[in-house]
Amino acid sequence: MFNSPRGYLTKVFIQIFLRNRQYIIFSLLLPVVILGIVGLNDGEVDPVEIGLVDNSNSVLSKNFITKLSDNPLFTIIEGDEEDLKEDLINGDLMMILVIPLDMQASNKTNNIKLLVDKSQIQFIETIKPVLNQTLLSIEREITQEQAMFELTIEDIKSRSQGYLDFLLPGIMAFMLMNLSIAGSGFNVVEFRRRGILKRLFVTPIKPIDFVSAIVVARMIIVLGQLTAIFGFALFILDANIVGSILYLYLVIMLGILMFLTLGFSIGSLAKTQETVGILASIFIYPQLVMSGVFFPLETLPEYIQPVAQVLPLTLVADAMRSIASDGLTLFQVHLDLLGMGIWIIIGTLISTKLFVWKEVAG
Amino acid sequence: MIINASNLVKSYEDPKDKSKTFNAVDGVSLSISSGEIYGILGPNGAGKTTTLEMLEGLKDIDQGTAFINQIDVNLNPYKVKEIIGVQLQANEFFDSMNLVELLNLFSALYNKKNDPIELLNKVNLADKALAEANELSGGQKQRFSIACALVNEPLVLFLDEPTTGLDPQAKRSLWDLILDLNKSGMTIVITTHNMEEAEYLCHRIAIMDYGKLIAEDSPKNLILKHAPDKVSEVVHGNMEDVFIALTGHGLRD
Repeated sequence: MFNSPRGYLTKVFIQIFLRNRQYIIFSLLLPVVILGIVGLNDGEVDPVEIGLVDNSNSVLSKNFITKLSDNPLFTIIEGDEEDLKEDLINGDLMMILVIPLDMQASNKTNNIKLLVDKSQIQFIETIKPVLNQTLLSIEREITQEQAMFELTIEDIKSRSQGYLDFLLPGIMAFMLMNLSIAGSGFNVVEFRRRGILKRLFVTPIKPIDFVSAIVVARMIIVLGQLTAIFGFALFILDANIVGSILYLYLVIMLGILMFLTLGFSIGSLAKTQETVGILASIFIYPQLVMSGVFFPLETLPEYIQPVAQVLPLTLVADAMRSIASDGLTLFQVHLDLLGMGIWIIIGTLISTKLFVWKEVAG
Repeated sequence: MIINASNLVKSYEDPKDKSKTFNAVDGVSLSISSGEIYGILGPNGAGKTTTLEMLEGLKDIDQGTAFINQIDVNLNPYKVKEIIGVQLQANEFFDSMNLVELLNLFSALYNKKNDPIELLNKVNLADKALAEANELSGGQKQRFSIACALVNEPLVLFLDEPTTGLDPQAKRSLWDLILDLNKSGMTIVITTHNMEEAEYLCHRIAIMDYGKLIAEDSPKNLILKHAPDKVSEVVHGNMEDVFIALTGHGLRD
């Protein structure tokens, strides 16, 4: 396959990349560090410091507190509400549980108040399910109705797979975006600026051959990079993948194609390397916040959600997470795939309309 | 005639007034016979490079026709690209590839196989075979650029200001290379600002200004026609006198 002009160019692009050791190392460093921090922490989760105000001071509440303290996820600091509030404001505590005066083991639901610092809202959203689940399991223990219930509840409510497993598909999606954008947009602008594109088009090679050579080369390169990260997470950090790895890779390949075409659009819009940097930042950073990769989408303001849900990164991350963590099939994520297909069409249209191949050197 | 172009026009939007267009190349006709070294002279912005790039199939021809070896450039740019060799003004190459690898790449783009060392020998760069293009000096880079233009054994070689910025030695060595290639039968079209170069190399010269071809003849005839006064003033009139007489003294950029 490497004998045709296009195939040879593909080979050369891969070769150039493989010789850039510095780029390889640094492109892998960021995801490895992020995953490493989370992953190495995952076994022995750093306890969350929770303030506790026991207004009830009953046998039941004492029992509750003992059970909560036994949970390795939490460090319980008892005190009175005012003092603890100060600690919360200072950031020494993540939240305060207030046990009501009339806590009792009857059929009545006991309302435990949760005081939080709103600036920590993202984090709280993430650990709320864990807290909820803990409360439920304590309840089961106290009411002695554990067995069947507890199993069900752990499976659905908690991220029993850990934060790493939640994070892994998102990090891979994010990395996929960065690498693909850098691999298409930046390259084209650089090649054009230096006149390399023009030199290539002096030969009988067609623009479509050039673009497909870059796409294929980048596809292979990014797949290699992602596989390295994936392997690191699976074998070193013991991450869990529930769904089909084949499906996951199909989504990844579609995602790479999407971001490559969008990267070409950015490269076509930008005339200089500086502009391409800014444009890429405008493209990348809002998505980092709005795609649910690091923070759950639900924490975003209501009016942004419809936009957030159709962002390219959201679509890839959601499809990848659905497959990796929830074991869904390709058919079950067909809306994400459809959305990605639409972005690919948009990217192709923009880059072919805006990129004047004939006037490559300006 | 290996190159036949008539009434070539390339128009661009006027940068000062977007509603207007101006013609960077304004009705240029050229006929170049096989085996000729043909020079295009002109001040900066005269339309030399644009003319060349239209002939090479790099820029669309807005009006007029161009044929190279009877192939219509407008209709078959890719067929034309297969039989021409081009050296551009900017000659940058991919990083982290040595000269041999680059020559292999360019050969592959024409679906051809070449011995890269043989090509490098031709341009006197065999000892740099494993160097990267950005490690070469200006003159070496130009010679390498010509080697890249030879991978498809072209019938016509286009050279766009090949000696600009070179020292006298590098310039002489490039001229020798161009004459050698021409001796082997290659037609060469060259643009230049350098009058000595035009006079030394070219069989015929076209002088361009403001997108138009304002004179075309052999260097000798051009001197006789356009610099006769100078002959009496100095010992010899030369191409530089012709150039200034035709395009004026004002600085251009």
